[in-house]
Amino acid sequence: MFTPSHLRELRGYRELILRLAWSDFKLRYKNSILGFFWTLLEPLLMLLVLYVVFSHLMRIQVEYYQLFLLLGIVLWNFLARGTTMSIFGIIGKPSLVQKVYFPRDILIISSCATALMMTLLEFVVFIAFMAIFRVAPSAAILYFPLIFFIEFVIVLGLSLGLSALNVYFRDVQFIWQVILQAGFFATPLLYPITIFPVNLQKIVMLNPMARIISMLRDCTLYQTAPIFEDMIYVTIWAMVILLVGYLIFDRLEPRFAEEI
Amino acid sequence: MTVMVKNLWKTFKIPQERRDTLFENLIGFFRPNQYETLTVLKDINFAAEEGDFIGIIGDNGSGKSTLLKIIANILRPTKGEIEVDGRMASFLELGVGFHPDLTVLENVGVYASVIGLSNREIEERTEEIIEFAGLRKFEETKLKNLSSGMQVRLAFSTAVQTDPDVLLVDEVLAVGDMEFQQKCFDVFERYKKEGVTTLFVSHDLASVRRFCDKTLLLRHGEQVAFDETSRVVDEYIYNPEEKNDAVDTVEEQKTRWGNMKLEITDVRFLDKYDKENDNFISGDPMTVRIFYHSHERIASPAFGIVFYYQDTYCYGTTTDFKGCDTGSVYGTGYVDFMVEKLPLLDGRFEVTVAVASSDYKVQYDWHDRLYSFDVQNPTRDLGIFSIDCEWRLSKDA
Repeated sequence: MFTPSHLRELRGYRELILRLAWSDFKLRYKNSILGFFWTLLEPLLMLLVLYVVFSHLMRIQVEYYQLFLLLGIVLWNFLARGTTMSIFGIIGKPSLVQKVYFPRDILIISSCATALMMTLLEFVVFIAFMAIFRVAPSAAILYFPLIFFIEFVIVLGLSLGLSALNVYFRDVQFIWQVILQAGFFATPLLYPITIFPVNLQKIVMLNPMARIISMLRDCTLYQTAPIFEDMIYVTIWAMVILLVGYLIFDRLEPRFAEEI
Repeated sequence: MTVMVKNLWKTFKIPQERRDTLFENLIGFFRPNQYETLTVLKDINFAAEEGDFIGIIGDNGSGKSTLLKIIANILRPTKGEIEVDGRMASFLELGVGFHPDLTVLENVGVYASVIGLSNREIEERTEEIIEFAGLRKFEETKLKNLSSGMQVRLAFSTAVQTDPDVLLVDEVLAVGDMEFQQKCFDVFERYKKEGVTTLFVSHDLASVRRFCDKTLLLRHGEQVAFDETSRVVDEYIYNPEEKNDAVDTVEEQKTRWGNMKLEITDVRFLDKYDKENDNFISGDPMTVRIFYHSHERIASPAFGIVFYYQDTYCYGTTTDFKGCDTGSVYGTGYVDFMVEKLPLLDGRFEVTVAVASSDYKVQYDWHDRLYSFDVQNPTRDLGIFSIDCEWRLSKDA
């Protein structure tokens, strides 16, 4: 948990976390010819499809729709990828759990870090696109790291809880995929929130990911700093998710080696 | 005190029906799962002082590895306390975290980090690790393209770079060829000299004898002894569990023949304490006691014995060959075949006993390889039997 002694212990293991994350990251691209370009190509291809569908068929009118869409996809991908990779973080590495000891949350932190590395690469593509479309960020962009960090905390919290549950209930991974699919459409990624009537907007915005993504878009593309209440709202969500995630993880962790 | 284990219990709960999914759990909610409990460790107590080299021995399933895993913090005890002071390294398996698609260099980095080396240490020692493993030319080769021998060497060279205060070793020596084992022994010597507290689980009693000051003997999860190594090993070998003899009688028909005028009724192996046993240490005394019952008076029957190792006929002799006249035999009695220093070295030996007329023309009873015993090798000699010998070197001859 977040006890000072555990945090100190984790600090002692930071080199291991980075090494595990980095080697996982490299492994993802080792066997493909296009190597790192895959990570860039994947969201771009998706962007192309979605752009064609939504801007022409559904006639969505948003300023910088391409960038709006790309940023949404990249940010959602981070959540989807981080949690999906982490869900296998324990059961996918039996020898690291059964044959050696280090705090097991390290495995989850490092797989979230791998997802982060992949997302950072996608940010590079995004920045290139911003340059192409000549969108200059304003000072509001300074909020970006902070809000993105809050998303990271949410991803970590979800990952901890899900990976631990998946050791005991192997269908959690499938259930989670369904939830992610639903979330992809329920979160305003492809469309602006304004397509809904006001009442419905409030309900949709209860989803912390919806707020995070809209704040990140606002500060990146539309020179708008986040509202204080929104920040508080997502911060509380992030803290609760991390806390619950850790509680589940700590509760289930002692028997990981027996249950894998 | 660097390692202390106090009133340690470990129980595994084994569900009769494994429910792996949420779905199965929901369905089974109204039908509680039955659990069988399996107690693998019962009240273990011992302590290791700094620099102690402690062996843990016992039959398969006696709880040795579980004990080691609990000390390593991989499994949690059901009851009891464990204290470990200082930096601990555990070699329950070599090459934990090795990935076939990473290169040799990358794998060294990950594995070294997993076993607790810092980045700086890794940087300083990578050169040495690769050199020691003899893989200089293969630094950039993917691990999956190396032979398994090379992989073990790489894992081992990396593992020995840790400098822990407490070391846990589980049967690592079981793999590898002689040269590799020798390397392991050298490293053990080094750790011993450096005063690393070591817990060593092994089946290889010879290396336990060689390195361990004290040894813990487990039997069905119970701590039978924790004492000086030679005493504990003796206890292990000369005080085995009761074994089930039921199987022997079934096979007796096929493997026994003769006219039964003089029957062999029982054969027992006796150890140096004159106790019945079928485990021996090479070089120790052994007696084979052959019980007989003669239905009629027979003059000077010849009792014989043959030792086999697998299908090798090792040695055979009779009372007659050794000039022992059995005289006139009638009724019951026994004959002792006595060995002062057992020359058999290592492994399981099978025994045939037989009795025939003095001219060997009539076979009274023949028990073909019905009996067996095990021999443990306390030395580093190799092979199935030992030759009483010494080496002498002359220079400038």
